[in-house]
Amino acid sequence: MANSHYEPPKQSAFGQLIDSLFLLVLVIAALFAPLYLKLAGGGKIDIAVADKSTWAGLGQSAVQQAQWEKLGFTPETAASIITSRFDYSFNPTEVVITAVVIIGYFALLFAFSRTEYREVIEERFGRK
Amino acid sequence: MNSFQILEYAAWAISAVLGLYMLFDMIRIDRTYDEELLTSSREGDIEDTLVIDPPHQGGHK
Amino acid sequence: MSQTTAVHGEKISLLRVLGPAHVWALGVGIVLVGEYMGWNFAVGKGGMIAALIACWVAGLLYTCVAMIDSEVTSTVAAAGGQYAQAKHIVGPLMAFNVGLYLVFAYTMLEAANAITLGYLVQTVGTMAGFADVHDKPFIVLTIMFLAWLNYRGVYATLTVNLILTAIAFVAILILFAAVKPWSNELLNHQAMLNGLPYGWLGVIASLHFGLWYYLGIEGTCQAAEEVRSPARSLPLGTMTGIMTLLIAATMTWYVCSGLMPWEYLGQAVTPLFDAARLTNSMPLMVLLFVGTVFSTLASANGCINDASRAWFSMGRDRYLPTWFGAVHPKNRTPYRSIVFLVPVALVFAYFAPLDQVITFSILSGLLGYTYMSLNVILFRRKWPLGMIKRGYIHPFHPLPALVLLLLCSVTYFAVFLGYGTQLIAMLIFFVVASLWFHFHRYQYVRRGDQFTMQWPRPVGY
Repeated sequence: MANSHYEPPKQSAFGQLIDSLFLLVLVIAALFAPLYLKLAGGGKIDIAVADKSTWAGLGQSAVQQAQWEKLGFTPETAASIITSRFDYSFNPTEVVITAVVIIGYFALLFAFSRTEYREVIEERFGRK
Repeated sequence: MNSFQILEYAAWAISAVLGLYMLFDMIRIDRTYDEELLTSSREGDIEDTLVIDPPHQGGHK
Repeated sequence: MSQTTAVHGEKISLLRVLGPAHVWALGVGIVLVGEYMGWNFAVGKGGMIAALIACWVAGLLYTCVAMIDSEVTSTVAAAGGQYAQAKHIVGPLMAFNVGLYLVFAYTMLEAANAITLGYLVQTVGTMAGFADVHDKPFIVLTIMFLAWLNYRGVYATLTVNLILTAIAFVAILILFAAVKPWSNELLNHQAMLNGLPYGWLGVIASLHFGLWYYLGIEGTCQAAEEVRSPARSLPLGTMTGIMTLLIAATMTWYVCSGLMPWEYLGQAVTPLFDAARLTNSMPLMVLLFVGTVFSTLASANGCINDASRAWFSMGRDRYLPTWFGAVHPKNRTPYRSIVFLVPVALVFAYFAPLDQVITFSILSGLLGYTYMSLNVILFRRKWPLGMIKRGYIHPFHPLPALVLLLLCSVTYFAVFLGYGTQLIAMLIFFVVASLWFHFHRYQYVRRGDQFTMQWPRPVGY
């Protein structure tokens, strides 16, 4: 192979350790940051019901009531589960920002990969 | 101390033993063998070694 | 199975011992736990009907994934699966990211499994009348035991998986037969189904957890270097796997939706176990308890297997420190990668809540599927049909790729509804990691050596 062959530097054990630790910290930060900043999870709201202390008031039929009871619930313990709903209201700007971030990320990946890939192919198959 | 607590302590103990086993075995292997040999596996040795009979593993040179 | 120190030509490699049944067990084993827990959050996000629609739409998404993946992987058969595919087809940075998706998706799924298992043991302990029972020791034990099993050898690991998975699958079939689906004796869909409480927006939102019915089926190709004839076994194992899951997912939905009010089902931790409780049958309860335990074990086991293979492959290519690219001379497993990922899984299983862990796993998977759809288009363009030998050719190209891309876009929106912050946090992580790789890490990588397949030069380069 006459053409430019890239010989990478040998990485020291210390450098290897630093690289491993960097990735580890990054992974843990990505997961725990939203949790600690209290930004995680969807917003929930409670819907209004007629009466929280009876099955009928919670809008449950006789058949449904029987199953709740078999699972060990009373109207009081089941009320919070039955009245809770996700809040799906959202801001269109946020959707656009998120979409731009996703598309930008993939564009970045493909652009950098392309230049790196050319090098790989040149070294493997020789220059055209 | 009830029997469930015994179960919990047993779980901790077994976890510790398994963890230590892996750790010590890893250190032992790292000291016994040459690093070059341990990291000698390469991707793509597929076509030429397509069918290897498991019982005969180790006989090949 | 005797594992000997086979040193051919002063080289050690992974052991090539697995058959199609192991591939099936690896794929289905990871995923089947999705029917035992997690899928029902889709009911919470959109209602019963929405969960069924999500189940089938996600089924379509995964059928595309399985077809595309089977074609590419029957050709690029190397440990690391999609990672090795990306390296050959798209380029190094993409490969690095795909490797991270895999490690993330599987390690988080493993943590989710350990959490569920700990919860179940705790529940049973409480039901048996013990006070003050903890789940943590069992979470730790699950991870430690399975890591040890993986450390010892791949053949035993996946044979255990085959048995666990088969039992867990049969448990679903027995439950389905036992509730007499042809009669209204136990099931009462008319009284339980409630239309669409959130309207059609809820249907889209529920697609988020709809992926959970199948997430991880693509893990089959991680075993490529350990399968006896990858070109045949991998497509066979993957396709039978997706069929198994479509059947199991629909049955699970049918049984649960006829038994439980949707408000309860939408937040249950162990829905199939609850379904068994509602049948008043002690044998069924025991069976579904065993099924839940086995499916979580099988899944976590497969996850350790897959995550460590991906991490190992990246170490071998110097994308990560070379230290991780080592194979155990006796057990023939990527032992350092297995050990390194143990504390990572422990941290998440010990400290993070279940739905967050699941969301991170789903997001990593989703990024991976987006890549797959683009990947297969490039694959067909760089190496058109007939230029290289393919073990399997998927039909109707490029339709599956486009359907997959469309469904992925919808699912991003579904995750955005409720979990937008995690989505952004995750993307920031990948951008930072990508820049780090491109500007720092890539200097240690040998350029030409990354391309290991015996293929001709790609068209257009």
